[in-house]
Amino acid sequence: MYFLLCGISIAAALIPFTVYLDKERYKVFSVINVILFLLICAFIIVPLWKVFVDSLDAQAGYGLRMWPKQFSTVGYQVILSTETMRKPFLISVLTTVCGTLLGLIISTLGAYVLIQFEMPGRNFLANLLLFTMIFQAGMIPTYLVMVNLHLTNTLWVVILLPAINVYNLVLMRNFFEGIPKSLFESASIDGCTPMGTFVKIVLPLSKAALASIGLMFAVSYWNDYTNYKLYITDTGLHNFQMKLRALFFSSDMPEASDGANAETLKNAAIMVAILPFMIVYPFLQKYFVKGVNVGAVKE
Amino acid sequence: MWGCSVWQPHDYLLQKGCDLMEKKMKKKKTPVSNKPLSVRLYTYRWFYVMFLPVLAFLIVFHYLPLAGIRYMFYSYTSAFNIKWVGLDNFIDLVSRPPFWNSFINTLELSIIKLLLNTFMAVIISLLLNEMVNIYFKKITQTIIYLPHFMSWVVTASVFTLILSTYSSGLVNTMLKTMGIIEAGEEISFLTSTEWWRFTYYLINIWKDTGWGTIVFLATLSGISPDLYEAAQIDGANRWDRMRWITFPSLANTIITVLILNLAKIMNLFESVFVLTNDIVTEVSQVLQTYTYDITFTSAPDYGFSTAVGFFRSMVGCLLVIICNFASKKVRGRGIV
Repeated sequence: MYFLLCGISIAAALIPFTVYLDKERYKVFSVINVILFLLICAFIIVPLWKVFVDSLDAQAGYGLRMWPKQFSTVGYQVILSTETMRKPFLISVLTTVCGTLLGLIISTLGAYVLIQFEMPGRNFLANLLLFTMIFQAGMIPTYLVMVNLHLTNTLWVVILLPAINVYNLVLMRNFFEGIPKSLFESASIDGCTPMGTFVKIVLPLSKAALASIGLMFAVSYWNDYTNYKLYITDTGLHNFQMKLRALFFSSDMPEASDGANAETLKNAAIMVAILPFMIVYPFLQKYFVKGVNVGAVKE
Repeated sequence: MWGCSVWQPHDYLLQKGCDLMEKKMKKKKTPVSNKPLSVRLYTYRWFYVMFLPVLAFLIVFHYLPLAGIRYMFYSYTSAFNIKWVGLDNFIDLVSRPPFWNSFINTLELSIIKLLLNTFMAVIISLLLNEMVNIYFKKITQTIIYLPHFMSWVVTASVFTLILSTYSSGLVNTMLKTMGIIEAGEEISFLTSTEWWRFTYYLINIWKDTGWGTIVFLATLSGISPDLYEAAQIDGANRWDRMRWITFPSLANTIITVLILNLAKIMNLFESVFVLTNDIVTEVSQVLQTYTYDITFTSAPDYGFSTAVGFFRSMVGCLLVIICNFASKKVRGRGIV
């Protein structure tokens, strides 16, 4: 059944091309193209719009309703006023801020050392990093190490573990390579120490890279679920993603939910989980995309 | 990093960086310095200090766990009960049908997902590239990149609501209103074995296709307009231009994206983990979720779980090596 559906959707995706290839009907093509993209955008937006509407509707629950029937913000009020919902949110904020800073420190330090091509042992250190991309110990050995280090059931594990991200480190190094060598030379002639060069020259010159890789870290910390699921069993230390999951699959509703429909509350919780990035995303889109675009266009 | 199965175009950038560096290294064949090693070590002393935190993180979070792989030869039910069992774990492993089932599922789910996502991303970027109105194009891009930043938990929650079989489910209600299905025969997209995979692929397309277009769009915008102009003067029609200019330029990027992602298909975890449930285990269980299930939901034998994990890592490692070889054959350069 679903192979049929896949076939139909693929065929539908190819239709614009048949028109495109016909010289006479190129005008028709542009119209079809716009309509197609309106459909694609609808496909992306409708699920989110539905969640948004239901989060503002005190009587959420009917499928086809695309506008709140009884407008109210009670869902959000419950989330903000209930201690068991507010605390996971604050933990999410805390780990995201700390983790992003730490991740940036580790990536920039590592990347700065990796661009010292004449440093003895530089290749060994680079290979040490690259090897972790090829072969990973896996879930259970990592779990056992965390248990033995007594890091489980502390927030340390969810802050420290994702901070070393070799992909982001190498990405940062690629940005750093764009800095002209002569700047380093003149700095060292003027008596600047390596740390001084790092703080006064490298970092100020790579603000865009810091923004773009910082955002990658922030997104991954905010969205972290796996690490909490594996290492933290204490519900008092769960972040908002874990709380959201519990809300859905263990019906772990806050006590103060009187007056708020369960559906409204679930939808409001989803909105709270995505809202921080929804707000900054349109303004920072270029930084989100930069990490990909800069390198891909450069040939 | 093993939890990250979302395919990320910035791997492509990573690749570009590695190539660039390779080229630079080749150019710089002259001896770097003729000073004695001790002097060079002293010159760079602060850099070693700066690398220390990175090294500490690497050792604690990547190399200490590697030492833990030895437990695959042990029976490890608790910290006080560790016994050497040799290859028993592996013999046990190959005789378990759920293990093979999850292995096949891992391959099937991630390969079909990869092909579908890449295909859709190529089509969408080709069409988006033809868009004349620049504002409409920008807005479209903003919208289709959006779902990439949502966590899998949020995605799963949104789709659990949308695909619900109750009257609150958007899709089922819509199908009923349109008369495609009758009341009482609502499709349980996420809780039936026939529909789960279809839903899984669809959710993946929803979430990651837009983000995947970035690399292809960048390639397309990198093609020199002179080529098209010259072809047009030579009398090439639209089809010819697409066949002889656009496709060859894109082919390299497509192969790169496929190879880079093929290398990490064994990492499939979170996306399946948040969408699966007991009813659909048969079609949804992948190696990582299998490892999780046997370790954290019943009496654990960490030795056996490590063996499963090791098998997964080995297959993953093998894939990286094969992809690296393929990448060298096809593009004349490796992936790591």
